[in-house]
Amino acid sequence: MGRKALLISPELCIGCRACQVACKSWQQLPADKTKNTGSYENPGDLTPNLYNKIRFVEVPSQENPVRWLFVSQRCMHCDDAGCMKICPAPGALYKTKEGIVAFNKDKCIGCKLCVAGCPFDVPRYDEKGKISKCNLCEDRVAENMIPACAKTCPTGSIKYGDWDEMVASSKKAGYEKLYGQMDLGGLGVLYAFKDTPKLYGLNERPQIPESIVFWHNVLKPLAYIGLGGVVAASALHYLLIGPHKEEEEV
Amino acid sequence: MAEMVRKASAFEIFNHWVLAISCLLLALSGYGFLFKLEGITALFGGANAMKDIHNYLGIVFTLSLFLSIFNWLKDALSFDSDDIKWIACAGGYLSKHPKVPPMGKLNTGQKLYYLALLAFGIAIAISGFVIWLMPGQRNYIILSHLVHNISFVVLMIAVPVHIYLATIANPGTFRIMVYGTVPYKWAAKRHPKWIQELSHGK
Repeated sequence: MGRKALLISPELCIGCRACQVACKSWQQLPADKTKNTGSYENPGDLTPNLYNKIRFVEVPSQENPVRWLFVSQRCMHCDDAGCMKICPAPGALYKTKEGIVAFNKDKCIGCKLCVAGCPFDVPRYDEKGKISKCNLCEDRVAENMIPACAKTCPTGSIKYGDWDEMVASSKKAGYEKLYGQMDLGGLGVLYAFKDTPKLYGLNERPQIPESIVFWHNVLKPLAYIGLGGVVAASALHYLLIGPHKEEEEV
Repeated sequence: MAEMVRKASAFEIFNHWVLAISCLLLALSGYGFLFKLEGITALFGGANAMKDIHNYLGIVFTLSLFLSIFNWLKDALSFDSDDIKWIACAGGYLSKHPKVPPMGKLNTGQKLYYLALLAFGIAIAISGFVIWLMPGQRNYIILSHLVHNISFVVLMIAVPVHIYLATIANPGTFRIMVYGTVPYKWAAKRHPKWIQELSHGK
């Protein structure tokens, strides 16, 4: 069983937002009260009760005054996940064998460090201060069912399948490189963009903050090499040179 | 019984223990968080409880560190040419028969250790409070997380050295943290300038 992925094709999305509804239905999440801001987008951002959302981008131009982009926005299930790197609570965030970055609210300590580690501004916190985000319906996936959003999508804008196959099939369809294919070890949510990612509201090169990478690669090893080193050095000093006793002084 | 001289007040001894115990418990839980060690989180009653204990112990540590300023900062800031000689001979610690320049109430190593503890202690405290009290504020957290961890690494190197030097490496030193007094003869050898000051004061 290999890695799974969602393949998002914004150009196929009709903005019906059935995926948002199906997600809430399966995950048993209540509705959020929202205000009309004059945009088709609703709610305006991910919330603790909204694991996936259709971002609405209007790109009017001379030749196409009504170019509308609908982009599914949610946890990207990074292979090299910044949230998992920085999380200090054992078992709060974990990876399934399908490559899903899943969470366990009982083990989450509500420190919100994952917010700092995430390159996509995804983690939200519920009223109890526990992490809340897309878990790619890990319970459905474990039973060989497909995630609720992909299941309900009427146009094939959200497809679910083997990661390799998603990349291969889109290559056949003319997408040389998918968004997220090479980023952060490969994202678990891939995008078939026809234009620059910025237009769809995503970073060209998503990255875990450099200081967190530095911390993970350098400071963490130093924390035990340093302690072990000085303990060993002290023991050596005690054996080779010995304590500074009074009688040894003249 | 040999003649004794008081080196630490009762308050100084008490505060030193508060600082030491809070520091060690914070370090232990810190390692638990850093490497997600379930053995350590279990010791504190689970990761959630460990977070609360770590946070509130941070207050104890900070207060104790603040009070320590009145105990040690003045002595730690008085340097003279003997301190340079002390550094040049590495405090005599690399020799079996050390010849060390005359020291005041604190030797150069103790002064530098205290100044480092104060600096990185303040850094780890402030960054810790930011992580605790400003959750989700990404840029502040990213910076504080870095500062907190750099300070942690430095302290985890400095503190064990301090404990070693103040216990088995220098017999007769640890009693200062228990009784506060040292034999006059011992003090006259280890801290001659301090003893001189004391006798001038008399």
